Amino acid sequence: MPTTTSSSSSSAASSSGNRQADVFSRLASSDPEVKLKALREVKNQIIGNRTKKLSFLKLGAVPAIASALSDADCSSNSSILVQSAAALGSFACGFEAGVQAVLDAGVFPRLLRLLTSSDEKVVDAGARSLRMIFQSNQAPKYDFLQEKNMEFLFSLLNSENENVSGLGASIIAHACGTSVEQQVLCDAGVLEKLVLLLDGSLSQREACLESLATVLKSNPEAVSRFVGLEAGRYMSSVTELTKDRYPRTRLLSCLCLVVIYNTSPSYFLNMGTKSSLVTTLLELLNDPGQSGDEAALGLSSLIAEKEDLQKLAYEANAIKNIVDILKTGSELNPKRLQGLFLSLAELCSKLEDCRCSFLSLEMLDLLVNELRHKNADVRTAACICFRNAARSIKNLSAGRFTTDHVMLPLVQLLHDPSSSVQVAVLGALSNIVLDFSSPKSTFIEYGGIKQLIELSKSMDPNTRCSSLRALRNLMFLADNNRKELFYSEVKAQGFVALISDPEPSVQEQALALLRNLVDGCINSIEFVFDEDGLILDTVGRQLRKAPQAQMAIQGMYVLTNVASGTELHKEAVMQQLFPQPQAESNNFMLKFLQSHESQLRSATVWTIINLISPSSPGALDRHVKLRNEGIIPQLKNMVNDACLDVKIRIRTVLSQSMSFGDN
Amino acid sequence: MPVRVVENNAPAQVSGNDPGNRSPLPPSSLLAAGQAFSGTQNVSNQQKEEAWRVNVQIQGIDLEHGYLCGTMEALNVPMADTPVITFWEGEIVDGKNYTFYTGKWEATREDDMRHWSKFPSFAPLQGQVESDGGRQLDLSNYPYIFMRWKEQYFVNVGTDCGLTIAGFYYVCFSCSDGSISGFYYDPNSSPFQKLELKTVNEGRSGFSFSSYELQ
Repeated sequence: MPTTTSSSSSSAASSSGNRQADVFSRLASSDPEVKLKALREVKNQIIGNRTKKLSFLKLGAVPAIASALSDADCSSNSSILVQSAAALGSFACGFEAGVQAVLDAGVFPRLLRLLTSSDEKVVDAGARSLRMIFQSNQAPKYDFLQEKNMEFLFSLLNSENENVSGLGASIIAHACGTSVEQQVLCDAGVLEKLVLLLDGSLSQREACLESLATVLKSNPEAVSRFVGLEAGRYMSSVTELTKDRYPRTRLLSCLCLVVIYNTSPSYFLNMGTKSSLVTTLLELLNDPGQSGDEAALGLSSLIAEKEDLQKLAYEANAIKNIVDILKTGSELNPKRLQGLFLSLAELCSKLEDCRCSFLSLEMLDLLVNELRHKNADVRTAACICFRNAARSIKNLSAGRFTTDHVMLPLVQLLHDPSSSVQVAVLGALSNIVLDFSSPKSTFIEYGGIKQLIELSKSMDPNTRCSSLRALRNLMFLADNNRKELFYSEVKAQGFVALISDPEPSVQEQALALLRNLVDGCINSIEFVFDEDGLILDTVGRQLRKAPQAQMAIQGMYVLTNVASGTELHKEAVMQQLFPQPQAESNNFMLKFLQSHESQLRSATVWTIINLISPSSPGALDRHVKLRNEGIIPQLKNMVNDACLDVKIRIRTVLSQSMSFGDN
Repeated sequence: MPVRVVENNAPAQVSGNDPGNRSPLPPSSLLAAGQAFSGTQNVSNQQKEEAWRVNVQIQGIDLEHGYLCGTMEALNVPMADTPVITFWEGEIVDGKNYTFYTGKWEATREDDMRHWSKFPSFAPLQGQVESDGGRQLDLSNYPYIFMRWKEQYFVNVGTDCGLTIAGFYYVCFSCSDGSISGFYYDPNSSPFQKLELKTVNEGRSGFSFSSYELQ
């Protein structure tokens, strides 16, 4: 058969295109030597070269190589099997489109069959190739619950061949998802098998660490089992590996420990281990490769919700280190950016020192830029970072966040196509709108009130709750202008709808918003009387419906605030508390006074304090009514309330009561 | 018959003095974000009697960390054309985050004791504080809250306005009526300038409360 020769005399420009097309015909050649050479050529060109992978992919290289593998399978040509498996593995390596193409070509079962070959090199190539596929989320689902699958998996783990045992571990690392699967694997003894790989080759160790993390994640029984193996020997091994010379090993062992910490923190009482884990992850942040990307996410997961670890990280200079990486100016990949922002967000979540430190590093401009990043996860993480930094009242008060170039992009993200971004930016804005009665509000100037009101009608209860919380914060200590701006968009009917929302958390925020609306200048109380007292009636009605404590607290503070007004206001509150006619069992005030929630008891007593405030003429009559309704006697039973604040308020009422000549 | 009230004058003792196990102070309605106070600061010295009107507003309080902050506005200050507003941050003496000993701002233990003892409500605690720093005191049931307030920056004037914020205030807050008294301490200013504030109800007949919630 005529063979094509490489045209070395052709010009460079046309030769690469020719060679590519040329290689395809050679892949299809029936001459095994020619085919083999073509396979090697493709493989060598695509290794580590994403651009080449893409261009060969587009020309249909994968199906061509898959055919070569199938033919060789039938004829047992080992060399071709090895090279075609290697080439396919290379296509799948870190390249999602390549994984897709390999799976689409239907060659996966053939690759599995290679594992049973008598030729060790073939087995090796097959195992390596399959490992690449199993790194991807597109890998076929592996059903651990099927016995024969479990047997197969264990046969892999038992293999002497490091690529095959590594494949077993990889399958576990990437396919084990549920606690049922974790349980089944543990019961079958997978932990005992996996830990043997810790003493193996580099590749086996790394595969083992990855799979351990997956099996142990959020599973206290599995963690307990692992830690108990050989009296903690393997737990110590993993801890030792955090000091290994290979960065990827250090990273994977750290991630494994993070999983164990988050699942069962009691195994980490030693401050030194915690500290070491934090500093190792911080060092890994500087790794330019994949380890650095994953270290950032690992760090955020480790310190999440843990003030002591956040403090350790802060003291180890984490904020400055992360900011320096972000400020290098080079293009960081989205995963790393996300991890870095989430780590900063966690650092700023509870500690004011961290927030001030972060904000002093002039990072807001950079953060604002990333709000426009094309990756939604990065935008979300940037918003969360904003939200947590804005928990600093000191910086909010100084107007740090309300400059135009910060506020505008945030407001624009309310319309972001990604819902996770919308939720995150709503959280950030919730805090940022707190401006302590500064007369100018950039948020309002950008049409923020209308947008929040729109969002308060969302189908999603979390969005309704968040937007109302933002409005509540916006109305904190607000002047009349701002209150009017808001109320004119909502009116009494709109407010009633908010207070009557089916979700208790939404009702709670709506009532808290109302509470702020009627605070401040005494004229503000008139809002609840609009349209014949519609809003006040609704508040009373909701309170009579045996509401959740948090909602009741806000409702009672609405009544407290109204009751701090004029005679008319106080009488209107009395009517809500004691509508005629009413059975005594409906007296919600008595119920609230007996609540386990001290804040509810406190809020209720404040209403009473205001109702009998001595400066108003009707105080005595209201006191009589309260006494007859059993409220004052109930208070007398509560003089030694466990909560100091409640006790103090009750004494205020009772001393006032005594001055009315109460007997 | 008047109800007999069980009076608990002095704070109870806590068993064990491990600061790691201490809880923060419980909330007090009148020491909360949004609360406003008004009164005077006596800035008299040997030359003349002088008092400034002062308004204080609490903007944030984090009992877990013994932290609070807010603004202070001084009116009719002679060297300034407008009211002078500062932002301050406070430390709450809770035995967990902070103790009666300042340990900074050029205040010695003697300075601390000299100032705290000027508050009548400190008297029942004095013995304990002098002997072991008050480590065994349980302040969570005591109807007074002790704090230190330190002004951090001027909000509306420059640092060349002729006023100083180098010192800090020893503060005592009464949980029952929200009244505040304080003494300014600054080695370079007249000693014991007294701050006296009461809650403000903005023309209302009773107390009104607003709130915010950080996400």
